[in-house]
Amino acid sequence: MKEKDTKQTPAASSENGGVRTQTVEHTTATEAPTSPPEVPQVERRNPNAPPVPPARERRKYKVSETPPPPPPPPKLNDYEPIIGKAAIDELHFLARHLRGKTVKMVNSTAVGGGVAEILNRLIPLMNELEVPTKWEVITGGNDFFEITKGFHNALHGGEYNVTKEILDLFQMYNEQNRQRMEFAEDLFVIHDPQPVGLIRSKRDRGRWVWRCHIDLSNPHAEVWNFLRPFVEQYDAAIFSSPAFTRQLAIPQYLFYPCIDPLSEKNKTMEETFVQKVCEDFGIDRTRPVLTQISRFDRLKDPVGVIQAYKLAKKYVDCQLVLAGGGATDDPEGAVVLAEVMEAAGDDPDVIILNLPPWSALEINALQQASNIVIQKSLKEGFGLTVTEALWKGKPTIAGAVGGIPTQVIHKLTGILVHSVEGCAYQIRYLLTHPEFAQQLGKNGHEHVKENFLMTTNVRRWLVLFQILLGVVKPARPS
Amino acid sequence: MATAQNLPQPASPLRWARAPFYFNSAAHLIRIGQQKATTLAELAEYLRTCPDASIFQHMFQTLQEHHYIREGFSNDFAHWAFAACNEIGLAERLAAVDVREYTSIKALRETLIGIVEEYLKKNPRTRERTAFEPFYFCASDTVVVPTPIVARNLAEFAEGLKQVSISGIHYHFIQARLRLKLNSNDFSVWLEQELDLGTLADRINRIDIYTSTLQDVRRQILKIIEKAL
Repeated sequence: MKEKDTKQTPAASSENGGVRTQTVEHTTATEAPTSPPEVPQVERRNPNAPPVPPARERRKYKVSETPPPPPPPPKLNDYEPIIGKAAIDELHFLARHLRGKTVKMVNSTAVGGGVAEILNRLIPLMNELEVPTKWEVITGGNDFFEITKGFHNALHGGEYNVTKEILDLFQMYNEQNRQRMEFAEDLFVIHDPQPVGLIRSKRDRGRWVWRCHIDLSNPHAEVWNFLRPFVEQYDAAIFSSPAFTRQLAIPQYLFYPCIDPLSEKNKTMEETFVQKVCEDFGIDRTRPVLTQISRFDRLKDPVGVIQAYKLAKKYVDCQLVLAGGGATDDPEGAVVLAEVMEAAGDDPDVIILNLPPWSALEINALQQASNIVIQKSLKEGFGLTVTEALWKGKPTIAGAVGGIPTQVIHKLTGILVHSVEGCAYQIRYLLTHPEFAQQLGKNGHEHVKENFLMTTNVRRWLVLFQILLGVVKPARPS
Repeated sequence: MATAQNLPQPASPLRWARAPFYFNSAAHLIRIGQQKATTLAELAEYLRTCPDASIFQHMFQTLQEHHYIREGFSNDFAHWAFAACNEIGLAERLAAVDVREYTSIKALRETLIGIVEEYLKKNPRTRERTAFEPFYFCASDTVVVPTPIVARNLAEFAEGLKQVSISGIHYHFIQARLRLKLNSNDFSVWLEQELDLGTLADRINRIDIYTSTLQDVRRQILKIIEKAL
């Protein structure tokens, strides 16, 4: 028997109105009754605003209450239909030069977050290539992770009150981890600032790389000045974009973030599943579908997307799907969701879905079902949702911020926009010029295939390791 | 009109080459440079001082990274002049620089500097105008990747060409000029020197890398060879 409970987004609680919101039916695998997850409460509303029209139609969709066990990681040969046999053979060749060398990668979490997601796929592939690679996770108390969260925000330019106590605590936890771990490998890759102090174990024989997944273009000066002496002891640093770097005394390399084409979020799906997801969410596939996949965050400008949709809809028929998470566990997310609901008004063609984090298959289906994918961010890291859309060959309209212009080359692999009006016009243009839209999608897919796939990153790691260990001398054309 | 001269020479698929052709590929790593241009004046300055590997990255390597796009501007400098500086005239002139005409980075660098300086002389107000986004100079570290694919005759060469990766096509057909210091490519040099197929070699060397994707280049070479077989 499966226990069921129903969770609704705030404005979906009464029976009338037009905006269609997600009503997720959770299922649990155990007999024991479970408490329904907290329903986010909307506290901040404009008292003068008209009441948000509630959902007219409830949709039911079963999503597991707990994350399902991850599928086994793919083998290298599983990628052959995507990148070709020659590219796989080249990976084997590059790895052969590293036989006998060992690698350790260290980060701060084994589950959740983009880094863990990447390492979950990268480590098995490196081991399959016979480059023994270990993954270790640092430990620390809540106080440590509060500090590292503060550092993370500060490195993105946020305010942070740095005290001697904080810096001492950070170093103390790094030192504890350093004492606990062994450092016998040939190569060490330390991800992000949390374990940066492990560099104190650097000895003559190993090579150390700091992989920074954060945008350091505008860091909090005190925090960066504290971290910088650690970073500059490494042999190299890796960034996700040239725009994210600082001036450093060590070589810096560019590794784009990547997606796994075989993951649940990106694999090719049965059309029947896509259709079922659309039916369950009330999406009419006989009419154009615009989609933005993002957590409910003002920096993703979901209200701007609704405004653009409304402007475009004066001329072209379409539906808008806003699907994301963050409204359940993040108080600000709930507020933003309420703003989104209000902006949507009673339009039945605006479908707002607040999905749990483990909805990869559903997100994949929504992207595949879309005629246009939008990512109208006002600020962005690299923007892997854009990568996912491009990979699926979808014409993509995106804000020209963060790492997005690296992926969306205007009018070639997608469309860059800077305003609601620009976004609205491009929606109209792409819906009325399907051949151009299709060409954008095709180019976007190829762009990802060449630059932003997991296998491309494996290749980059292998080359970097060879260079750092002096196994090969890179050719310098002249 | 076809003449005896421009018809491909008859070639035996099984005639042995004097030396085999070893297909290679290349793997690249992008190093992020210290230079960041925010104006055209800075672009001109850094074009003078950036490492050779940066010119290679932004003029040669970009042809592989964006090989599937044949619309728009063909190198990173031209694309930046257009997309970030809105200087279409400069973008067109930079895009017209054909790397096939250069066998050294030094000569290519001089051409690029000349184009930018001339443009700034004619359009002095554009000199210090801040670009929409900076140009980050990067550099390419290249590692050669040998493959097990070897050709000893034309039939094997065609078969090898079908198997080699896009990186391999770029390595032999585009990068080769800098290595050979010739206005040619590895495929044409081998066909001419080892199989005496000079006309075939010339026809392959004339394939336009700017209007063709690297997959198109592969297809066009195969078409030329298959016609000759």
